[in-house]
Amino acid sequence: MTTTEKTKKPIYYGWYVCAATLFIGFVAIGARNSFGVFVVPMSDEFGWNRFTISAAAALGVLINGLSQPFFGQIFDRTGGRKMILISIVVLGSATAMLALTFHILFLAFMFGIVVSMAQSGPAPSNTAALMARWFKRRRATAISINSSALSMGGMIMVPFSMFLLQATNWRVAWLALGIIVLSSLPMAYFFLRERPADKGLYPDGDPAPPVDASGVKRRETLGPLEVDTWKQSFKTAPIWQMAGSYFVCGTTTFVMSVHFIPFAIEDRGVSGATAATIFGYMMFLNIFGALGAGILSDKLGGTKNLLAFAYAMRGVGYLVLLTVDSVLGLWIFASIAGFSWVATPVLTSSLTADVYGTKALGTISGITFMFHQFGGFGSVLLAGLLFDITGSYTLPFAIVGALLLPAAISAFSIKERKYSSRYQTRVPTPAAGD
Amino acid sequence: MMASMISFILAHQGDAADPELLRWIKIQLDHIFGSGPWAVVAVMGIVILAIPVFITVVYLMQAKRRAAVAPMNQEAQEQERVR
Repeated sequence: MTTTEKTKKPIYYGWYVCAATLFIGFVAIGARNSFGVFVVPMSDEFGWNRFTISAAAALGVLINGLSQPFFGQIFDRTGGRKMILISIVVLGSATAMLALTFHILFLAFMFGIVVSMAQSGPAPSNTAALMARWFKRRRATAISINSSALSMGGMIMVPFSMFLLQATNWRVAWLALGIIVLSSLPMAYFFLRERPADKGLYPDGDPAPPVDASGVKRRETLGPLEVDTWKQSFKTAPIWQMAGSYFVCGTTTFVMSVHFIPFAIEDRGVSGATAATIFGYMMFLNIFGALGAGILSDKLGGTKNLLAFAYAMRGVGYLVLLTVDSVLGLWIFASIAGFSWVATPVLTSSLTADVYGTKALGTISGITFMFHQFGGFGSVLLAGLLFDITGSYTLPFAIVGALLLPAAISAFSIKERKYSSRYQTRVPTPAAGD
Repeated sequence: MMASMISFILAHQGDAADPELLRWIKIQLDHIFGSGPWAVVAVMGIVILAIPVFITVVYLMQAKRRAAVAPMNQEAQEQERVR
């Protein structure tokens, strides 16, 4: 038996980068998710009404969405490692400093601006771009693991904050959350690396590209639309198709995040606890939906078909929600929508990387994410307005649900086989030129 | 309407959680852990901190494998250069 046969292959370093971004995203998003826990105790102490404290949070949503493209550009220009390290320091420190809140303007500045901007550093749009550098064959799987931090953050960090608050007080709880965010700094420092070449590796841990008989080394396959700057991508059709459907994604998820529980209670007559159970179940399914979409995309290909399917299924969920006037309709909707909730960002990020390459991916993903946030912001306002006028959620849900059909068609019509690097044949280049 | 914007879980986007859902989660966890908040804080704190510890331990345990593969990689790169 040779040495090569005896030696087991070590875990590809990209998986450590993936695990590190998972943990960073988990604590960063979890700390932000936890804001809702602090609403009541902080309002009680300072005598703020809900509108006042909500304004600080709404400012945060807006700032977070607007800052994504800028952080994406920093990611593309300076590299993800430095930016994520600095973001963690700022995010952790600012979260801890929320313990010093003495005025609503302090909260609005610290949470609405500083925390929300810093959170754009390790945001999924950037960490997905980092994953796209480390993985090619298993890109969607890595992005899906990375994206499951969104659900994990909500599922573990929020209850943790809630009990910490009960055991101590809101100032200690903010301080502890800040320290937990800062605790991800060593992981980020030791494990995050910009690209496989930094570790002498190739994407996915694959061996060096083969050299053919004529001495020509085969290099990484490139898609015909691979870009150096984000501006070039917006002159092509696929980005508009993806951004358009991503806008609908934001529209259909934000509106449910805000209005599902009131709808279940007021329109379907279920108890608050049942409504929350169904919503919690839907969030739990996120993880499986994200992982399933990533693995299927890598194994079967046809990412745009899966994306179109996810939108179409979400549309069916909306149809069931509006037509089945019972608690069963809510459960069916939660089952269908839960699987598609985080599947769409995973598939969109993976497809964007496959079509446009990784050079400007941070900025491109940041801009598409901004579309997503704008869609969500508009849908929440529209649903609230129409509810006030009609006294029901039927019309706003029907409007946003109907948008899922063009979103599915838009995703399905992407010419993936023509533009995705996955479907291109390898380009031979002289070895000396590499 | 503005007030409702804050009170939700945005697991998809990463924003604040719905108070109704939080109450429900707390009731479920109280059933599991009893009503002592410190017990839950301790258990969840350990779960959170276990993640980086686990990743680091796996990385360190793989040190030998990486060390064994490194010379082979160098050898392969050397052969490629000669070719």
